[in-house]
Amino acid sequence: MLAKLTKVTAIAAASMFVLTACTGTPSGTSSAPTGGQLPATTIKILAPNYGDTSKADWEKIIAEFNKKQPNVKVELQMEAWETFTDKVKARIQANDLPDILNDNAFASEATTGLLYPITEVMSDSTVKSIEPSLLKNGVGPDGTQWAAPDIASARMMTINTDIMSKAGVTAAPKTWAEMEAACAKIVATKVSCYGMPLGKEEAQVESSLWLWGAGGDWVKDGQLVANQPAAVEGFTEIKKLIDAKATQPDPGASNRQAVADAFNQGKVAMYVTHSGLMATTRKDFPKIKYTLSQIPSKDGSPVAFGVTDFILAFNNKDANRKEATKQFLDLFYSDAMYEGWYKGTGLLPVTTSMINAAKSTDADNKDFYDSLSYVKFNPVSDPKWDALKNALQGTAGTIQKDSPENVLKAVQEQLDAAS
Amino acid sequence: MSLPVAPGRARSRRRKEALAALPWLAPTLLLIAGVVIYPAYLMFWTAFQKYNSYGILQGPAGWSNFFGKGGAFTFPTVPWTSVWTNTVIWVVVVVIMTLALSLLLAQFLSKDFPGRKALRLLVLLPWACSVVLTTTVFRYGLQGDVGIFNRFLVDTGILNVPYGFTKDPTAAFWVAVFVAIYVSLPFTTYTILAGLQSVPNDILEAAHVDGANAVQRYWQVVFPMLRPAIAAATLINIINVFNSLPILTILNDNGGYHTGHTTTTLIFQFKAQLGPGVASALSIANFLFCLVVVAFYFWIVKPTKEVQ
Repeated sequence: MLAKLTKVTAIAAASMFVLTACTGTPSGTSSAPTGGQLPATTIKILAPNYGDTSKADWEKIIAEFNKKQPNVKVELQMEAWETFTDKVKARIQANDLPDILNDNAFASEATTGLLYPITEVMSDSTVKSIEPSLLKNGVGPDGTQWAAPDIASARMMTINTDIMSKAGVTAAPKTWAEMEAACAKIVATKVSCYGMPLGKEEAQVESSLWLWGAGGDWVKDGQLVANQPAAVEGFTEIKKLIDAKATQPDPGASNRQAVADAFNQGKVAMYVTHSGLMATTRKDFPKIKYTLSQIPSKDGSPVAFGVTDFILAFNNKDANRKEATKQFLDLFYSDAMYEGWYKGTGLLPVTTSMINAAKSTDADNKDFYDSLSYVKFNPVSDPKWDALKNALQGTAGTIQKDSPENVLKAVQEQLDAAS
Repeated sequence: MSLPVAPGRARSRRRKEALAALPWLAPTLLLIAGVVIYPAYLMFWTAFQKYNSYGILQGPAGWSNFFGKGGAFTFPTVPWTSVWTNTVIWVVVVVIMTLALSLLLAQFLSKDFPGRKALRLLVLLPWACSVVLTTTVFRYGLQGDVGIFNRFLVDTGILNVPYGFTKDPTAAFWVAVFVAIYVSLPFTTYTILAGLQSVPNDILEAAHVDGANAVQRYWQVVFPMLRPAIAAATLINIINVFNSLPILTILNDNGGYHTGHTTTTLIFQFKAQLGPGVASALSIANFLFCLVVVAFYFWIVKPTKEVQ
């Protein structure tokens, strides 16, 4: 048995030497220039599931990559969004850093010095291929480009037109006053007017929308401020809608999916949505007729919510892995590979060429592309944003039973204590 | 009474005996060191280290995880009154209700009646299913739009409109109490049932002949003989219930520092938002609280005396 094992090992070792001999061309050393083949190494990818095809979409790129770099093994780990942050934390705590991470935040990793600046692991042409207005989301407060966006999504108000006409609402509301009036009519038809996900998953998005609607911003003089007049105004409007019973029951403990489900069943007239959710509505609930509109604000100026997810590259202190990562990312953002990948997410592309191509062909998402001109983003690059996000997710929902001032005071206290 | 022996010789003999027993004790000692002492040590060590919320070690923290700006006991907006009351209610109500119901159920199941075997199996059901599964069934049942329990309550006219049982932290807490009793019943019932089987029939008959009525027979003959079984069931239940996390977490749709937390769920909230250091600091409090509960229990009930 032992003899047999030794034999097998010996053969394996020998064949490995042969392999290295074959592939070990003069350029294939550890500091391989682009184009040459890298020595055997492994790079690891950790990515969330955007949809059913996400895993296959990554694997397609990996297969293509392995044609060029057969010695580089690519390990792919896919996880669900709900627990994604926990998985990332677990990998970091176990010191098993993924070379490539696809996530919706980067500030914590960047401030602890775990990352390569993304420009070190992407060639200049790849960096330049990304839409500049989206690319700047990946810049940390220190001015370094720590992350590169890989998909964008815009959020707008979707309105069920059948419910709207049945209630006698003629146009999509643009101001808070118009919205209150429309909701009064819609609620009279025994349908919830506005789906408000103020629960632990989406409260940071919903809160921002109403803060921006009041003309405010979380960042004031370079600092994140929760307890500010515009926020009070926004939360007062939120409370007004809740008190008028214009929202679904228990908005303070609702997540976006629950609200989307209610919309798809015709139980909610409008909510803030993104292109992925609307794709599901078109496919599985063809009876729901809808129109997309700007999110109402106090004075009627358009509000839309922008999100970019990011590619981060962890520093594993290994030149070969770094080079493999760079080649992989260059391939990833190439039109041929990126087109299939971003379409699988149901969201919007970030490379200029793909955005231009999609604008003219993707009629379903035309409104979302148009809204990209006025979207605002949450301050995800601020290292304190995590603390504000947590505080909002845990506390914004208490607006159901508490005053705007108290809620925002509690959010501010948590923000101050946690950061 | 043994003869007086010189203390030195006695000690050396005892040491020899202990050494001789060591090979037999070693696996147990190793196990205790590995699964009890090391984790406890790690908990204390972690509580005095500073981590960021991603769990990356930043250096020693002193007492700041306990009483610092973002410390476990000083973090703003945590409703401590309800956390502590919830914790006590959670343990006391669940354990006492479980015991009371189990005593009734065991008494019933020890009677001879047709279908007894099937019923005994049914009682096992909540124990056979995973706690997460059982709790998830309740969670969906209580869902506002499509939940079957909510539907039932509305259709029978008990409620006018569906109530978001899992959407209000305090309501969710009481639902969790109910579910915890439900899942604790089988084990407790079976422990007491086993105790009932050990009550000799001749003693009951003798009591009967002596003129004791059913109530007297139960409280003065059966119940005292059940004490070892009750003692074991109580102790195990206290520790189990106190540490139970899934029921409370699954049934509560709310995030943040709400009024439905016990110290155990609060530890997890801290772990996610403030990192392992702060979570460990609260774990130590939990650990001490658990020790106090068990000590009280030993002091009042003296279970070891009975179990012997």
